[in-house]
Amino acid sequence: MEGIVLTVVSGNKEASIRHRRFLAKKNEYFWALALLLPTLLALIVLRITPMISAINSSLFTAYPGGVRPAIFSGLENYRTVLSDSDFIDTIQRTFLFNLVINPLQIALSLLVSVLMVQRIRFEGLWRTLIFIPVTIPIVGSSITWQAILRPDGPFNALLVTLGLKPQPFLNSPHQSLQAITLIASWIGIGYWMMFLIAGLRSVPSEIYEAAEIDRAGPIRVFFKITLPLIKRQLLFVLVADIVANFVLFAPIQLLTAGGPESSTTLLIFDAYRTTYGYGSRNLGATKVVILSIIMICFVALQFSLLREKKVKEIK
Amino acid sequence: MSTSVRDKLKNQISTRIRSRSEQKRFRTNWPMTICAALLGFMFIIPAIWLFVGSIRPNNEILTTMSTFGWDLIIPSRLTFENYYHLFADLGFGVALWTSFFTSGVTVLVGLFLALLAAYALGVLNFPGRAIVFSFVVISFMMPFEAIAIPLSQVFTKWGLANTYAGLILPGIANGLAIFSLRQYFMGIPKSFRESAMIDGASEPKILFTIYLRLSAPALINSALLIFVGSWTAYLWPLLIVSENHLQVAPVALARTFGEHTSSYGQNFAGSIILSLVPAIAIFALQRHFGRLDWGSEEK
Repeated sequence: MEGIVLTVVSGNKEASIRHRRFLAKKNEYFWALALLLPTLLALIVLRITPMISAINSSLFTAYPGGVRPAIFSGLENYRTVLSDSDFIDTIQRTFLFNLVINPLQIALSLLVSVLMVQRIRFEGLWRTLIFIPVTIPIVGSSITWQAILRPDGPFNALLVTLGLKPQPFLNSPHQSLQAITLIASWIGIGYWMMFLIAGLRSVPSEIYEAAEIDRAGPIRVFFKITLPLIKRQLLFVLVADIVANFVLFAPIQLLTAGGPESSTTLLIFDAYRTTYGYGSRNLGATKVVILSIIMICFVALQFSLLREKKVKEIK
Repeated sequence: MSTSVRDKLKNQISTRIRSRSEQKRFRTNWPMTICAALLGFMFIIPAIWLFVGSIRPNNEILTTMSTFGWDLIIPSRLTFENYYHLFADLGFGVALWTSFFTSGVTVLVGLFLALLAAYALGVLNFPGRAIVFSFVVISFMMPFEAIAIPLSQVFTKWGLANTYAGLILPGIANGLAIFSLRQYFMGIPKSFRESAMIDGASEPKILFTIYLRLSAPALINSALLIFVGSWTAYLWPLLIVSENHLQVAPVALARTFGEHTSSYGQNFAGSIILSLVPAIAIFALQRHFGRLDWGSEEK
């Protein structure tokens, strides 16, 4: 636009206008830099410095006691960590956990959200009830669920009343990770529901009315209309959920400490325990670097889903 | 005359049709309502049990939890002794204040930072803008728990352990906040800025007089994102603070839980207090929560 205006202006004034435009542009660059400066500083201090520090630390081997200085050992720590069968198990467990919990949470959130946008009464009330667990900080909900899932707790009391056998839940290596999944989902489903309801509401109602005229059944409407139209929101929520669950820490540290029998040792807890519990900072840093690389991939994916251009949708 | 009568008739018919279709649209789906109610109760029951546990005598939680009956959620008497114990004996008030102060400052600084960045990245034009934008948002979307361990070592080296600055700094840059503010700014017509510039307004003046005033919904959403992130943070304060007087409330709660595992009363009371603040904030502002502007990039 501005370019067209410029060429219309006659030649004599053109030079001075161009000069003024140059100054304006320089002014704009200056302000862009000035306004971005705090953010760029924060980026360097809060993200780049610790990342470099972790990478650096992962390349050294320290001796216990700290009397002798740490020596440079290249990729030795990575070799140690990646040939440690416990750590390989931890990585596998972390991926398996995420492979189960994320589709589960998002599928349930979607189901709940679709239910919430039906022609139902007191919709706000039910939505609020499902959302309330989100407002309880994870430390509080972990404590609550630890009590609920005790061998002599209310959940088992309910099972016994229903004529079922009481379960060990957090005390069993076969059930502990499922129990953690339950706790995380009690919070997660309501949280992601809010995003998905916003997505569902953005679908124009005319489309549903047209489908109704065509006598399309509810299942057909869901798979042929709803799902394709909120695909982007759904993918974003899924990736954001993966990112959140990859750093799930509080319930594990508070309730199981990675056990029993390492059944709840996930990557972030393992990095924490290696660094502070076992005091091997270099190996801990190595695990942090591995975790960060995995996280960056997912965050980049999340970002590309957020800003995907509309042009593509038209194509 | 006759035409007006016909018009009236037409109007009447069309309103009747409209009202019938509207009736149809608002016809309640009762089976679905029952499903929603059941689901709502399933989610709320653990929270009700938590709340009831906080206002009943402490030992009653343990004595009633093993049998499934009404006394599971009906206390023998109401009491605030758990809350009293939490504040008077365990010093929860100090931790709560630390949490309030930390989260409040984090929101203020974080919003300021996000405003400046969103304006530079969404309104101003400069070479390499797209790359800087991607880099900033991706870096800050990465949950800082992932790099909390090396960051705490760096901060400790810099003498920021056991300081408010150490507690506050990591929460101030929030990728989603920057993203949603920028997206919102890009929806504000460029002509507003251009006419202000003709009047001689500088960029900061345009940002703080025009853009700031038009962006209340996006600001609230961003403030909520930053606040909830800071208020519920657990791993970071655990790593950076070792002195009791600077401990934030979630860590203080986790400590009392670790020391008195079976005295649930005070732990439940602490959980209720901690959830009250975000609950009030989110429900007061829930119209703005969860909405990301799914608009496309400018063209």
